Amino acid sequence: MTARTAIARTNLYLALGCIAFALMLAFLWIPLDTNSGLIEKVRRQVTIGDALAPTLAAFMIGLGGVLVLFQGRGAAQDGIGGRNLGFLARLLAGIAIAFALMRWTGPGVVWLAGLVSDQELTYRALRDTAPWKYLGFLTGGSFLIAALIAAVEGRVTGRTVVIAVCAVLVLIALYDLPFDDLLLPPNGDV
Amino acid sequence: MGALDYIWLGIAAVFQGPELFSVAGVGISVTLVMILAGFLLGIVVGATPGLAGPMAMAISLPVLISIFGFTPDALLPVMGFLIGVMKGATIGGAVPAILFNTPGTPDAYMTTLDGHPMAQAGQAKKALKIAHVSSAAGDTFSDIVLILCAPFLAILVEAYLDLPEKTALLILSLAFIAAVIGGSVGKGIISMGLGLLAAYVATGEDFYPRLSLGSQTLAQGFPIATAILGVLILGEVFKSLEDLWRDHRSAGPRAEPGQSGDQALRWTDIRRIAPYIGRSAVIGTVIGALPGIGSTLAATLGYTAGSRRHARRRPGSTPFGKGAPEGIAATEAANSSVSGANLIPVLSLGIPGNAAAVFLILAAESIGGFNPGPSVFRFTADTVNPELVVAFGLFTAMMVANLLNWTIGGAFMRVVGVMIRVPKHILLPIVLTLTLTAIYVQEARISAMWFAIGFGILGYLMRRLGISHLPFVIAFILGGKLEDTARQAFAATGGDAWFLVTSPIAAVFMALAVAVVALSLRKPQEVKA
Repeated sequence: MTARTAIARTNLYLALGCIAFALMLAFLWIPLDTNSGLIEKVRRQVTIGDALAPTLAAFMIGLGGVLVLFQGRGAAQDGIGGRNLGFLARLLAGIAIAFALMRWTGPGVVWLAGLVSDQELTYRALRDTAPWKYLGFLTGGSFLIAALIAAVEGRVTGRTVVIAVCAVLVLIALYDLPFDDLLLPPNGDV
Repeated sequence: MGALDYIWLGIAAVFQGPELFSVAGVGISVTLVMILAGFLLGIVVGATPGLAGPMAMAISLPVLISIFGFTPDALLPVMGFLIGVMKGATIGGAVPAILFNTPGTPDAYMTTLDGHPMAQAGQAKKALKIAHVSSAAGDTFSDIVLILCAPFLAILVEAYLDLPEKTALLILSLAFIAAVIGGSVGKGIISMGLGLLAAYVATGEDFYPRLSLGSQTLAQGFPIATAILGVLILGEVFKSLEDLWRDHRSAGPRAEPGQSGDQALRWTDIRRIAPYIGRSAVIGTVIGALPGIGSTLAATLGYTAGSRRHARRRPGSTPFGKGAPEGIAATEAANSSVSGANLIPVLSLGIPGNAAAVFLILAAESIGGFNPGPSVFRFTADTVNPELVVAFGLFTAMMVANLLNWTIGGAFMRVVGVMIRVPKHILLPIVLTLTLTAIYVQEARISAMWFAIGFGILGYLMRRLGISHLPFVIAFILGGKLEDTARQAFAATGGDAWFLVTSPIAAVFMALAVAVVALSLRKPQEVKA
């Protein structure tokens, strides 16, 4: 299969996907998930309903799909293959772990501290107090940076970890230390 | 109040605004300091391959808003900083292009063609000086055109365009952006449709937030920062990370070529490059005034026009592509003159034309008190129109940034060549974390970071499929405005379903929208978005 054929096939899939998505939007999602129609008549006054604008957006997506279908030629984009999807899956897994670390490290450490000290400690009560408020961001943020650097370098080194921790400390200094009103992750959620 | 009073108030707002410190008894306003800080940061960012002006604008916006708050006094310092970044990044992009054959920003690619051969021939400093002079000249010319044109265009729009015409103008702008950006009209329209769809989730007039799938998380809609930063910044970070991951390589230190000979930029050199600067400045300004057409096309057209002139007028001198100073001048003047003209549609119509303009609108929307668009330029006689004062303050900020560009820009850009040594594979994960943190501090919920990741993946897929992401971003910003204007126009015309074609001006705009799409369909082949 030549590169041009592969790209034409990518464009074909894109066009068909867009047309299918537009039809699904126009005939399923929009009618089922909006309270008013395209045009509404309220007290003898005709107004534009909430469904009109998204339906036009769906029409645009479908129209674009049709144009790509008939314009199909071209040789510029890379296309999407198994390797791209594999990269996305790894990336998303890394981000999910980083977010989980951000969300649960602080509450977990506070729970452990409560066990050790035999006190009733809650993360919510401590989320505006150093060092507790930095735990999640420091571990999750450092993990995210270190994991991505290591993925490109193909190995984990001490230098990578030091760079990641330092970068997150700089972010803490940038966003948290000067401002009382800004919350670092995950302190707005807990 | 007359026009001159407003101009004076705008200048005073920049120079006599809140004082940060004083030097020899002269107060230095915080806006001036912010313009300087933004300008220097912009040069550093522009000189760093993998970073770009919009990234710095995105990351600094929440910090700036936290510092200055949501008061009208915050507008000029924050937007002055962003303008400084925009202008600094434009000249910064030439540094790695000349020294290391690596464009710092996409529009500096053409600069490599003559800049790097000059550097290899031992003339790097001279090449940087030519790039600086050309860039500063193009930028200043473009700003002057902006200052002269934007108010008149806005007054014309307010005088002659009613609600149906304004709706048709928004449709024409979106059609133009979708049709001309990238190589495929169909893909541009898909991008625009997706942007509109994202803008319409959980908005509307009914009590029930439409298209929210009954979910409380979606019921708040997509925060504007998550969609814009996701598609613009994270999408680019993901794509670049994959490229690096696939190649398993990092940008290691590179050697700067040795320098020799006369590095001074003399009057004869300036006379030699002046016609190229002038021609490219006009090309870049015209291109920049059209929403959606970026500085890369301006640089290409400026370079091509310069190349033709050079071959005709100076057949015996160094040809373009082999280290001709005129090649650097033609490129840098063209890509720099886009930045000011790009603000013509923003300030006169409220329509952003590029990523930098998107962040200026985002800053204005976040802070409040300034809604870019034709209503800004109401020269009220009895009362002060604060938005008009801000507009003239922005013009002043642009001229201050130009002054900085002419005075210290050249010296500073010659010392930031060291930024090429920052490995891209270390920089990009930090940019990713920085962007996610910037989103969290604005939204204070992890779901917003997930939305940004989702939009980042959308941006990544768009880049891989050759779909330009700019129509998405601009449609997302204009989607709400388009629907509101259409609703008002529909109501004002008594429910006339044909309101977009009954008025002659609106009909012309709609016909142009169809024509621009139809003509773009005749493009011979896709080019990289």
